[in-house]
Amino acid sequence: MSRPPDLVADVAEVLLSEDQIQAKVAELGARISADYAGRELTLVSVLKGSLPFMADLMRAIRIPVQIDLMEVSSYGGTATESSGLVRILKDLSSSIDGRHVLIVEDIIDTGLTLNYLVRYLRGKNPASLGICTLLDKPARRLVEIPIDYLGFEIPDQFVIGYGLDYGERYRNLRFVGVLRPEVYTSPE
Amino acid sequence: MTDARPRPAFAHASEAELARILDFYDVAWEYEPHTFPILYNRDGAVLESFSPDFYLPELDLYIELTTLKQRLVRKKNRKLRRLRDLYPGLRVKLLYARDFRALLLKYGRIAFADGLSGAEGQSTPPRRDAGSGAPAASSGARGTPAQAAREAGPIPGRGGLAPSQTAARARRARRSRAEARARAAARAGAAAPGTEMTA
Repeated sequence: MSRPPDLVADVAEVLLSEDQIQAKVAELGARISADYAGRELTLVSVLKGSLPFMADLMRAIRIPVQIDLMEVSSYGGTATESSGLVRILKDLSSSIDGRHVLIVEDIIDTGLTLNYLVRYLRGKNPASLGICTLLDKPARRLVEIPIDYLGFEIPDQFVIGYGLDYGERYRNLRFVGVLRPEVYTSPE
Repeated sequence: MTDARPRPAFAHASEAELARILDFYDVAWEYEPHTFPILYNRDGAVLESFSPDFYLPELDLYIELTTLKQRLVRKKNRKLRRLRDLYPGLRVKLLYARDFRALLLKYGRIAFADGLSGAEGQSTPPRRDAGSGAPAASSGARGTPAQAAREAGPIPGRGGLAPSQTAARARRARRSRAEARARAAARAGAAAPGTEMTA
C-alpha cells in the first residue's frame, strides 16, 4: 500500500497564513456589511474552491444574507471534453431576480470562468452584480473583470490550500501555500 | 452541430489548444485577423509586420502565443515592444511558454504542456517575421465562433502538424521567401549613404 501524501510537506512556502486570511475575511465582511446595509444580498459561491472562503465570509457579514452555490465545469475535465463547452454543473437554487448578488470566488486568474458566470448571472436580472475574491493573480489575466472586494493580490505561482486544490488535494489546508513544482512535474 | 465556415489552419498545436479553451468558455475569437506593419523603409514600404495569433473581439484584445523557451523570445519581445510603440491603443497580451504551461497546469493538462513547450514543440519556423506589404489591419483567417478550433482536428502529439496545418506552413514558407526578397531589395536600397530604416 502506498504511503498517504503529506499535504504540508508538499508546500514549498506559506504564502498567506491562517491568521492573515482570517483578518482579511473579517475586513471584507465588515466592508460588505456596510456597503449592502438595507439591501437584499445574495452571496453566490462558486464550487468547489471558494467553499472555505464562503463559509468564513458569510459569518463575517453582519447583515441578513442569502447564500447560493454554483458549480461550472472546468476545461480539461473528463466529464466535459465530449461537449467541449462549459456547463453549469449546479445552478442556483433560488431566483436572484431583483436581488443584489455578490459572486464569491476563491481566486481569479485568467478570468475566463468568471467572465462566463457574470454573463450567465446578468441574464437572471439581479439588481446588481458584484465580485468578491480572496485571491487575485493578475499576471494570468486574459479577461479583465472589475473586482469589487479583493483579499490579496498574489504572485504568479501555483497556490493551494484554503479551498484551492491540485488534483482535488490540499483544499483542507488552513493556509494558502505554494505547491512544490516537483509535485506536479513528477509522475504519481 | 456543423459549421460551414472555413476552419483556421493553426500553425501550432498550442494555438489549437488555446482556441479550444476560448471556445470552452464561450469567448469569441478570430485567428490572425489583422497584420500590423512595424517597420518601413524610407520609401514607406513595409519591411516587417506583426500578426498577433488571436483577436478577441468582445474584449478588444489581441493574444500572441509563443511556446519558445524564454531565452529564445527576445525577437518576439522586440516586435511586441515595437507594436505597442506604434499602436499605443492596441491591447496585446503575450503568452509565454511558462504562461501557457501554467494555464494547462490549472486545467490538469500538464502532460500536454510538456509536449508543446520549448523549441521542440515549435513545429514551424519563426512566423510572420516580415511585412508582406499588406495594408494595416488586413483581413486574415477567421475562426469565430465556437467549434472552429475543434474542426481543426485532433492535436498531434509533441507539436507535430495536423494535415490542415501543412498548407499554413507552405503559405508561410512562400511568404518568408517573398519577404526575404523584399528585405534584400530594401537592403540594396539602404546601401546608399544616408539611407536608413524608419518606422
